[in-house]
Formats: sequence, structure tokens, C-alpha cells
Amino acid sequence: MSNKLTYAQVNRDIMRPLFTPTMAWHGLMALALLGLAIGGVCWGIQLVWGLGVAGYHPPVFWGVYITTFVFWVGIGHAGTLISAILFLTRSRWRTGIYRAAEAMTIFAVMTAALFPAIHVGRAWQAYWLFPYPNQRQLWQNFKSPLMWDVFAVSTYFTVSTVFFFIGLVPDIAAVRDNTRGYTQKLYAAMALGWHGTDRQWRHYMAAYGFFAALATPLVLSVHSVVSWDFAMADTPGWHSTLFPPYFVAGAIFSGCAMVITLMLPLQRVFKLDAYIHIWHFEHLAKLCMFTGGILTYSYGCEYFIAWYSDNPYEWGTFVDRVVGKYWWVFGTMVLCNCTIPLLWWFKRVRTSFAGLFIVSIVINIGMWFERYNIIASSLAHSFDPAAWVYYTPTYIEMGILVGSFAWFFTWFLLFVKIMPSVAIAEIKETLRPPLKHDEEAAAK
Amino acid sequence: MDGLNRRDFLKAGAVATSATAAACAYDYKVPQEEVLPYVVNPENVQPGLATYYASLCNGCATACGLVARNTDGRVVGVEGNPDHPSGPGLCTRGHFDLIAAYGPDRLPGATAKRTTLSWADADKQMLDAVAAARAAGKTVAWLGRYRTGTASALLDVLAEGGLRRVHWETLGVEPLLAAARIAFGVDELPVYELAGARTVVSFGFDFADSAFGSMAMRKGFAKARNPASDGFAARLVAIEPRLSSSSIGCDDWVSALPGTETQVALALAKLCAAANGYSGAGASLLSGVDVNAACAASGIAEARLTELAAMLTAAPSVVLPGGPSTQGADATALAVATLLCNMVLGAVGTAVQFGRGFRPGQVNSFADVKSLVADAAAGKIGVLFLDGIDAIHALPAAIGAADALAKVDLVVQFADEANDSTGENTLVLPTGSGLEQWSDASVESSLHVLGQPSMVPLHDSRGLGDTLLTLAKAWAPAAPPVEAVVAPLEGSTDATPAADSTATVAPVAAPAPVSTASLVASAANFGELVKARWTALLMPAGANAAAWWQEVQTIGLVASPPALAAVSWVAASLPEGTNSGSGDRALVLFASHLGDGRWANVPWAQELPDPVSTYFWNTWIEINPRTAESLGLGEKDLVKVETDHGSVTVGWFGAPTVREDTVALRMGNGKTTGKYAKGRGANAFALLGGEVDPASGALNLTSRVRITRTQGDSGLHALCGSMNQDGRTIAARVNAADAVANVEGEAQSIVPIHHLPTDPRVEAAGPVDMFPEPQHPTYRFSMVIDTNACNGCGACQIACAVENNTPFVGPDQLRKGRTMSWIRMDRFFEGDENSPDVRYLPAICQHCAHAPCEGVCPVLATYHNLDGLNAMIYNRCVGTRYCANNCPYTARRFNYHTWEWPQSYHLMLNPELSTREMGVMEKCTFCVQRVRSVKDNWRDAAFAEREPGKPVSMDKHRVPDAALQRLTACAAACPSEAINFGNWNDTDSTVRQLGTSPRAYTLLGELNTKPGVRYMAKVSHHAPAFSHGGGHGGGHEEGHGDSHTPTEAPGGHGGPDEAPAHGHGAEHKEG
Repeated sequence: MSNKLTYAQVNRDIMRPLFTPTMAWHGLMALALLGLAIGGVCWGIQLVWGLGVAGYHPPVFWGVYITTFVFWVGIGHAGTLISAILFLTRSRWRTGIYRAAEAMTIFAVMTAALFPAIHVGRAWQAYWLFPYPNQRQLWQNFKSPLMWDVFAVSTYFTVSTVFFFIGLVPDIAAVRDNTRGYTQKLYAAMALGWHGTDRQWRHYMAAYGFFAALATPLVLSVHSVVSWDFAMADTPGWHSTLFPPYFVAGAIFSGCAMVITLMLPLQRVFKLDAYIHIWHFEHLAKLCMFTGGILTYSYGCEYFIAWYSDNPYEWGTFVDRVVGKYWWVFGTMVLCNCTIPLLWWFKRVRTSFAGLFIVSIVINIGMWFERYNIIASSLAHSFDPAAWVYYTPTYIEMGILVGSFAWFFTWFLLFVKIMPSVAIAEIKETLRPPLKHDEEAAAK
Repeated sequence: MDGLNRRDFLKAGAVATSATAAACAYDYKVPQEEVLPYVVNPENVQPGLATYYASLCNGCATACGLVARNTDGRVVGVEGNPDHPSGPGLCTRGHFDLIAAYGPDRLPGATAKRTTLSWADADKQMLDAVAAARAAGKTVAWLGRYRTGTASALLDVLAEGGLRRVHWETLGVEPLLAAARIAFGVDELPVYELAGARTVVSFGFDFADSAFGSMAMRKGFAKARNPASDGFAARLVAIEPRLSSSSIGCDDWVSALPGTETQVALALAKLCAAANGYSGAGASLLSGVDVNAACAASGIAEARLTELAAMLTAAPSVVLPGGPSTQGADATALAVATLLCNMVLGAVGTAVQFGRGFRPGQVNSFADVKSLVADAAAGKIGVLFLDGIDAIHALPAAIGAADALAKVDLVVQFADEANDSTGENTLVLPTGSGLEQWSDASVESSLHVLGQPSMVPLHDSRGLGDTLLTLAKAWAPAAPPVEAVVAPLEGSTDATPAADSTATVAPVAAPAPVSTASLVASAANFGELVKARWTALLMPAGANAAAWWQEVQTIGLVASPPALAAVSWVAASLPEGTNSGSGDRALVLFASHLGDGRWANVPWAQELPDPVSTYFWNTWIEINPRTAESLGLGEKDLVKVETDHGSVTVGWFGAPTVREDTVALRMGNGKTTGKYAKGRGANAFALLGGEVDPASGALNLTSRVRITRTQGDSGLHALCGSMNQDGRTIAARVNAADAVANVEGEAQSIVPIHHLPTDPRVEAAGPVDMFPEPQHPTYRFSMVIDTNACNGCGACQIACAVENNTPFVGPDQLRKGRTMSWIRMDRFFEGDENSPDVRYLPAICQHCAHAPCEGVCPVLATYHNLDGLNAMIYNRCVGTRYCANNCPYTARRFNYHTWEWPQSYHLMLNPELSTREMGVMEKCTFCVQRVRSVKDNWRDAAFAEREPGKPVSMDKHRVPDAALQRLTACAAACPSEAINFGNWNDTDSTVRQLGTSPRAYTLLGELNTKPGVRYMAKVSHHAPAFSHGGGHGGGHEEGHGDSHTPTEAPGGHGGPDEAPAHGHGAEHKEG
């Protein structure tokens, strides 16, 4: 961090979006609300007319909704990785980006959590998935991976949210001190009476470390559980022990790419270059290169397993992905996840704004198609050839996909507007403290 | 059984149960209704308990018996009458007829110019028109479908009074009837008894579907083909340009150049005669036959015919006549030639039976129809009665029926719905469904079927017989003295004209002559007339009339063993007839599900996928894939099909079951009227010129065509996702020799199953299941489906839809593949390009003991019950659809919308089970409502019989096999009796016996799902022309070439399901 920065300057810079959001923010917010309206209308149509407005037909009963669900759950992982694991490993480069990444996690999980309700045939009964006490003595089937999902996702959401708000406490206190009126009262409530005393700091750091430790296994477990939705099923193309590590790697890959996609504009629009440097992004890009390598290996490994198993159903599905009607999905996936990210091996690309931004978006697209490839192409080419079909999404499904992005960005933009999107307290830790003799030297 | 009382009850019932819809203002998803109890409960009726009526199927002229199930005033199900020779089983047409009874288009009453009339006004209009026509010297004519029984006798009375009768059907029997007269001098159709035949050669005869009398032939063939029945499996050889649904499972397809089948049949007869030294009366016809020329003309290798002749002469065999695809200008000649083949083979009198008086009443030829239409066009017809024939749609456009009909003073149409022929001068008299009126039929001298009304008419209709009675009463004064009129029961004798009949034969097995005319005056209604006539004709002397009638009504028929008569060959020469027309390809028409258009307005019929293409709701052509390739056709391209008489533009399907030089066009669609029929596809009859076969006057159903590719999107969608099974064993096949040799066996499967490779160490440890096998203490309900008897006809599918309230979804939804049918008919074209080996497999929920669907449902909406059923709780389902994804059989269906049963189809809903709202899963339940009902009944009976103070005996408590075997709707419907249901725990049950036989296998059993359904592999002879490389059994044809070691049966640990270890536990023969 630059030594030229003062504590007051940090406060001013980071809190600027809270008080003077730019035209860009308003424009983006309008776009997000428009997308949200599109998604809402589409879901409304689906609720009234039934899931027939989506593209499902036997045997493809999962499609864009579950694809998007897995996509958003995956996105979330990078945030926890950056905020918790990099905290525990004392990786200093997390400081500038972890707050926004963590917010992204929460909003991604919130987006993902919409999809089970959107996806089920009777959304008005979706609460039956929760094991709540009831007089009819109805209970859930804990053998079902979907039940595990319910617990995995809700645990993840709870822990991430608590971790996020704990991390926010000192910064909220700083915002509180810069506001007046009822706004101040709101921030005061969220700041939990923070005054920055030594005792508070000692307790705070202990709690933060504790929650970081608690959140760490979730990075691995949540997406493993999500992958079991597929791996535990007998559908060819799903039924594979490779899935948990493969999904976790994919999740971090897509999550880091999403952090890049979000933080680059944030840095530009709100002029946070002093806090978020290109080397932050370079680190993220390197993480992507690593997990992308694992992913590419997994793709190859899947084919090897399918071939080596001598299971005609499995191998049939994998061959069909390449040469069948879904070739374009497979092609998009390989191009976006395995080929184009190789550009980041050139330092010039991974340190340039355009290189980072474009490739990160390509990765996001590729990761969405990876899930689509797994879900749609496997179901469409299952055991009985007489039941083979070709599933294509409808406008309603695409509208809800757009709506999901809008929902995510609405929350993210709101976050930028009401919370410090860079951790003020941690930035200040990296600065040289304001010492008396420094001030005297400056005065001379 | 007193008719009046029952009618009164039914009326009361209809009123009392009519529900008041009280849909909640915002709850659009769950329609809510109030159920009101009877104010005064009718005697002997318990609400909710069904009443069964033995009746007559009106689906076609074959006159099968059926049993109608009336629940709370409405018939909600039909099944074949097991006492009838055609039963058990009921084909698609019987079910369509039930659905048609609830059609939304049904007219509320007698209608003229779109105005409903009272019956008095309608009668007056009709009788005035008849009187006016007769006064003006114009003809009163009748154009209708085949009729037998009392209705036919009444028509005889009217004919005596001057009515000009013409009975004709598109898929009629004229060529065969004429051939029988020419060949043997008899005036009846041969009955083909296929049960004992070892080789069956068919020249296109649609013996399992559209042919007259198909049910009995189909059962006979299924029996002949079953290796367990007589120790052999009949071989079927088809000589036709397109494999019909009857011969689609044939062992060998020897296709001749279209139009040369007669020569082939004669050559075959000659070769057979040479082989077995036949020198009877027919031999003179064979002297001029040139086998070489026939082979050259037809393109069949002589060696092949010689081989076929050797097969035919070696064992009891039968040669079947032509059918729709070979009904050309030489149709009669072909039929005579096939009869000659049978004569040479000595099959006449055994497999080809005469003397049974088998015919559908009066049969007129298409030539008669043409002359009637010509007279109408000339203004000579005053009144035309149209009975069941949509003349403007179903007659070839070239004969000008539309103009002719307009020139008739009054067309009286007997139809429940307005159709294409309903015009401004039409008086429509709705007759009501066959289930709502009295009728009877008799297509054999020794078999009389009674059709009694099974429910109150839904609309103000009046039976056809009652209208005929009205006419007869009005005409009686002008008729000859009634005493002189003698109407033998089996219909008229004045049939097919234009035939060089060599001899007339006295009516066979003539019953006591009865003057129907004398009964007319005293009969108040048609029901009384039927009763009086039956009593006079059929009641044994000295019987108590009331008791006898009661018994007849209970059984639904009067039958006696058929008497056969010897016939001798009388034909000295072959009738003439040559095919003509211009075009580079032959055109044949085929009927699937819609018939000649009769079922076009039945949405379930439109929706039932065609057995070959799995298309629906449309018209299309079938062409050989190589033809399509040479034309450069894209999957959704349109094709213009042109004859000298007209053209249609339709989509196409590449069927390897059609010759390369042949185009097969589906008939039945292209109507301009009807809620569901209007605007669907094109009318195939527009392509026909209306030429006739000179010998019989039959319509030439073939033609020559030109086809060209045109722009546009056909919008056709195949419900079957693959042409073949991609090397997987879904529908298995075994070699006939193996099947016969291993009929009994010791439960060692001969079915080639692909085993997933397993680790030898895992194998050594024995079968390991993660979860214990579910317990089935009393029942493990199971099903065994013999795919060898299945020809994909769809009867099970339609019966299932009617029983289980599965909706039709309409063409747009179905094009997305969203069938709601619980039975998916898998169709695979295996074999090579020249000889397709077509296999069918009705795929349903397999009721697995280790069901993949059960474990993944998060809310336990699907579970395994103690009876072995994979049960489904609709109300608990939230619609995650995980179960459907995880079902390897794709057996589950999802309710994408809340489907609608438009007025008045909702009246057809089976009250025994609910409909399903949008968002929930459903699937085959093994007709759980029937299972529960039969279990409860047996338990109740056991409790009723027990001695006081003692427990109920389990032997009595348990439902016996006989009560289970045809319990489910599909098993009850299958005309081939291919579907068997029962209790696997009962070691003597049919399912246990069949399911452990060597031909049985479990579908995808290697997944260790432990299904409750087992299939029996198709049996096939390897004709030299299409053997796939030989080898032992089927073991080589579908294996994957991997060296599979025999695997242990994953049969679990001592659970009741351990026994079915065959299939996955079979030794897999190598080498």
C-alpha cells in the first residue's frame, strides 16, 4: 500500500460510493431492475401455466434451471476461498478484494437458492423440502441428494452471511461515524457498538479466525454435495466418483473469474485503483489457471473412465456429447474453459484490463455451458435409445436466466451503495500508522 | 336387468352426480367440485361400484364381444368379452369407440342446417322426403358400412320395399369374397386358422389389424408363434411392398415388384405343387404359369421362392391373401392365387376354413358405390341414407361424391357428429354410440353377439335400429306381404355383382327362417325387435324365454361350435386385372389408428403414435431411407406426392419397411370438419382415381406416383428417439431354434444380455446390496410381456389412457415429446437394410425392488409398498423430477400443465382414481385401483366365509392367479395376450412360470434395479437372406464382443425377489 494514503483518505475513498454513486451505478441499477422485471414476469407465467412453458420433455427433466443453480452455487465458492482460506493462510493479496468477493458469495448463494423454488413443479409446495415439524407427521427422505443439497446450501448461506457481517463490523462503525440521522441509527445497530477498543479487537480477531475456520470446509463440501445430485444418480454421464473434486475445481475456477468480472468495473467506476491493484487480479488469474488445469484434466479423465469402464451406456453418452446434437455445447465448453483461458499464461494478457475482463467473461460462459453439457446432454441420451431426445430451452427459461443475473447484480449494486466494498480496517492495517514524528516531519 | 328400471336409475344417477363446479376464485390449479349423494338410493346399486354389461363392439364390422364397465351411470371402461372367441383382449378400435361416445362434437339431437330438430320433426322430414322421392320415381338409396344382425334384416325388409342398398368399406372384403366364389363357388369368406401353421406367407393381408376378423387371426398367429404352445415357432414370410403392422415382425421379407404379387403367388403355387405332387382340380391353372418369368418380373430370386415352397410343403402352412398394400387392379386374381396355394398345400379345410358363414353381411363393391354416386349426380336419387361413411372424405375425390351428394334431395346421415359429408341438404340423425343403443351382429352362422345399451345416451340420440324400425313401419303398407319376406340371420345373399360366379351356394347352416317383417309391427322399439327376433331364431325349444334372455344378456352372445363344410376347387381360369398409371414409384395406402378417417376426430387416436414412424396427428409418407437419401430430403422437408388424379404435400418418414420403389401414404386425415380432425394432414383418397379391380369391383388402393421435394417444414416429430437400439439389448431377440429347444429349461436364460464388466474380487464376494431388499410378504405383483407377440398396435396404450385418466396433450405439446401415455412403445429397426428386423417393446414402469426413483425423491412421494408396487403419492409430490431423471426406463411422466378434458370427455374420467394437477409426477401404477379392489374383494370373501372364532385362511385370502392374469388395463386389452400380470410370490403363477422361462429377461437388469416387469425376447428365424453371420443363438448378435464372464445374480439375500435370477444371472454362452 502506498504510504501516501492517510486513514482519512482511505475512509473518503472507500466510502465515496455510499454517498455519491455515479451515473454508471444508476445506469447499471436500472438495467438490473429491468432484467429482474423480465425474470419476474417469466416466473409468473411459469407459475400460472406450469412448467410446460419450459423446454422439458421426457427424459430431460432438468435443464436451464438446475444448470443455473449449479452455476451460482459454484460462483459462491471463490468468495469463501478468498475470505476464509486466504485469511487463514495469511495471503496478503486478499485484502483489497475479499469484501466484494464475500458479498458476491452471499448474493450468488441467494440467487442459487431461488432455483429450487423456480425449478420444482409446484413452487407453492417447495417448503416441503424442509424438515419442519407438522401434524401430518410427514418427513423427508434423507437418502435423497436433493435433501443434502437443502442442508448444504442453507448451511453455506448461514455461515457465509455470519462471516460476512462479522467482517463488516469495524467498517460499518466507520460508516456510522460518517452518517447522520436515521441512517446513522441503522449503521449503529449493525456495528454492534463497535468502538475499536483493544478488547473489542482481541475478541473480534478471535471470532473472525473462528468463522474463517468454520467456513473453510464448506468451500470443499458444498459443491461436493451439489455434485452428488448428479454423481449419486444412475444416469450415464452423471454417475461418476470424479464429480466432487471436479465440481469444486470448477466452482473455484468460475468463482475467481466472476470476482475478476465484478471487481474490474468496480475498480474503474469508483476509482479504487489505490486499493485494488492489477496484481490482485493477476493472483486471481493464476488461481483460475490452476483450477482450469484441474478442470481440463477432469474432462479428459471423464472420457478415459467412460472408455475404460467398457460401459456402453456411459461411453455412448460421452461420444454423443461430441458428435451428437449437443456438439455445440461441448465445443463451447472446451473452447471457453480449456482453450481461451490459456491466454492468461501470457503475463501481458493477465495484467491488462481487457485481457482480464474478456477472458473472465468467457470463463463464466464456459462454466455455465459445462453444467448445461452435463445436465442436458446426459439426460437426453440415457439408457433406452427409444427415449433419446433433444432438449432446447425456451424463452421463459432464458428470461429467468437473465432474471437470475439481474437479481444477483441488483443485490451487488445495493451492496456497493450501502456497504464499504473494500475492507477499510484491513486496508488501514497495511498502512503505516499516523505517528507523531511523521506529522512533525511533515510539518517541517 | 330390467331395461326400464335401469334406465330410470341411470337418468337419476346422471342428474344426482352432476357436480357443481365451485372453483375457488384464485385457486385456478385445483378444480373443486361438490359430490352430492343420492337423495333416494336406487335399489341394488352401491355408489362407486361398477356394473358390467356384456355388449357388442361397434369399432368395426368384425363384431367382437365386449364388456362395458358402468360406474355411477357412465361407461368408463371397455374390455374384451372373454366368452367371445375374440376375447380376452380388445383392440384400439373398441377403445376409440368408447372415447368417441364422449366426443365434444356430438350433436345434441337430430340436426338439419345446423338447427336441432325434434325427433318428430326429423321423422316427418325423412318420411316426407322418402314419400316424395317414391312419388317422383326417384330412388331411395342406402350407402353404409357393413351391417349384420337385426339391422341388416330390417334393411332387407326395406330393400323389399325398394330401398337400394350399398354396403361398402374402404378396407373391405370384396376381393377375397369374390375370390372365394370364383375358386370354390361359396359365398362366404375363408376363416384363416393360424394357430397350427408352421410357415405363414402373407401377401399383404393385414390379419392382425385392419382385416375383417383380425382378432381371432391375431390370437391364432400369436399362438403359432409362441415356441411354448406347440413346440415350434411359426415362420412368417411377407411378400408385399410395405410391411403392414401384421407382418412387421416377419422373419423374412421377400418383396416383389409392386403389382407382380399375383404372378409370385402363382409361381409359388406351382413350385409347391411340384414339391408335393399336387394334381387336384386347381392344377390346370398352374400349367400355364412360368416361374422364371414371374421371378424375372418380380425381381425375386428363383432359389428364394423354391426355398419358400420347400418350407411351405414341409409342414402345415398357410398362405394369406392380399391386403391394402396389394389391393390393385388384380386384387381378386391375387386372392384366387393365394387360395390356390392353400389348395396345393392342402390347407383348405384345416387352416383355411369354409362353411362357417363368415362374412360381414351384405357386401357391395366399389363399382356399386360408383354407380350409386353416378346416379346421384344424375339426379336419380331422391333420398340417400349415409350410414357411417363419410362419403366426401373417404371416397376418392375423382368420382365426384361432393357434387353428387349436393344433387340428392335429402341426405339422411346416421352420424353422431357432423362430418365432411354434412351439407345443406343433410338431415343428421345421431344414432348414439354403440354403448347407448341396442344392436346385434352375427358374422358367422354359429356366433351371434348381442349389443345391449350400457348407459343412458349422453345426448338426444336414437339408435340406428329405431330409425330403421320407423322407416320399416312407414313403408310396410307398400311392402310385399310380410309373410313372404324371409330374412336369414346372416344377412342377405345378394352380394357382390359383376362376378363370373360359377355356382351359387345355399345359405350355410341356415337357421329357422324368421320373418323380420312380421315382427316389425308388434315391436315398440328396436330393443324389443332384437329380443323378439333372437327369441324366435335362437332360443332352444322349450326354454324359459325370460331366463334365456337373462342369460343371453349376461353372456352377451349365443355361440355354438362352428360347422365346417368341404369345398372343392371350381375355378378354371384366373380373373383378369392389370395395374396402370404413370409415375416412377408405386403408391400404397396404409391405415394406422385412424382407419379410413373414422377415428380422425378422436384425439387419443390422433395422438397414439404410429407403430412404424411414431408420428402422430398428421399425414405423412413412408419411404425407404435410401430413396430419401437419393432425393436429398432433410428431416423436416415436405414432399409433394402426385398421381394422375391429384396431389398432396406431406412430411416423410424413412422406413426400411418400405420398398425403394414404393411410397406408402397414411390414410385417415385431411378432414375439413371436426374439432380434432379439421385441418390435420392431407386426404390420401385425393390421390386415387377410383379405378376398380374388374373381377370384384373392389377399389384399387394402389397407384403410381411421382414425388418431389418441396420447401417447408413438415412439423413432424418422432416420439421414438432412435431408429435402432444402438447395440444395446432393450428389445432382445433369440433364435427360434434355441427358443424351441429351451422352452422349459431350468431357468437358464438364452437372452443375450450385455453385462457391465465387474471386478472379479467383487464378484467373488457375491452380490452386495447397499440397502436390504424390500419385503413382499404376500404379493409381489409382477408383469411379463412377451415381445414376440407384440406388433406395437397400441391397444395397451389406449386402454391404459382410458383406465388411468391420462390426457391427450395435443399436437403442439406432443411435438415437444410430452406424451402422457404411461406406456411408451419402443420401436427399433434392427437387422440390415434389406431385411429390417423390427422389434417392439412396451416400456412401462418396471416397479423395481431397488427403484432408482424412490431413493432420490426428497419428500418420499414415491415409495415401495408391501405388494411390490412402486407407489406414487401425487399429493406429496413437489415436482423436483429427480425421480424421472433417475429412472433408467424413462417410465415417468410429468404434468407440465393442468391438462384439460374438454366437454364432454370429462364424463369419461374413471372415478376410481384422481386426475393429476400440474407439477406432479405420474407413471404406471400397475392399475393400483384394480389391484386394491381385487385384493379387497377376495379378503372380504375370505372373511365372510370364515368359521366364527377362527382366523382367516391365507389360502383363501390370497387372490388366485386366474383373477390377476388379465387384471391391469393393458393386460386386459392386449389382443395377442402378450401381457400377463400376477403374483411373483406364487410359484405356480403364470408370471412366475413365464418370467423364469429361458426367453425371459429383465430390462437393463444389469443395473440391479430388480424390476417387477420381465420381458420375453422376440423369437426369430434366420432366413438365409438376412442371417447376421450365424453363430449360436442370439448370443452373438447383440453382444458387444467383450469377453463377459457369467456374473452372479444380484438377487439379494433371500428376499422373495431372489428367484428371478435369470436375465442378469444367466450364463452367457461364448464361442
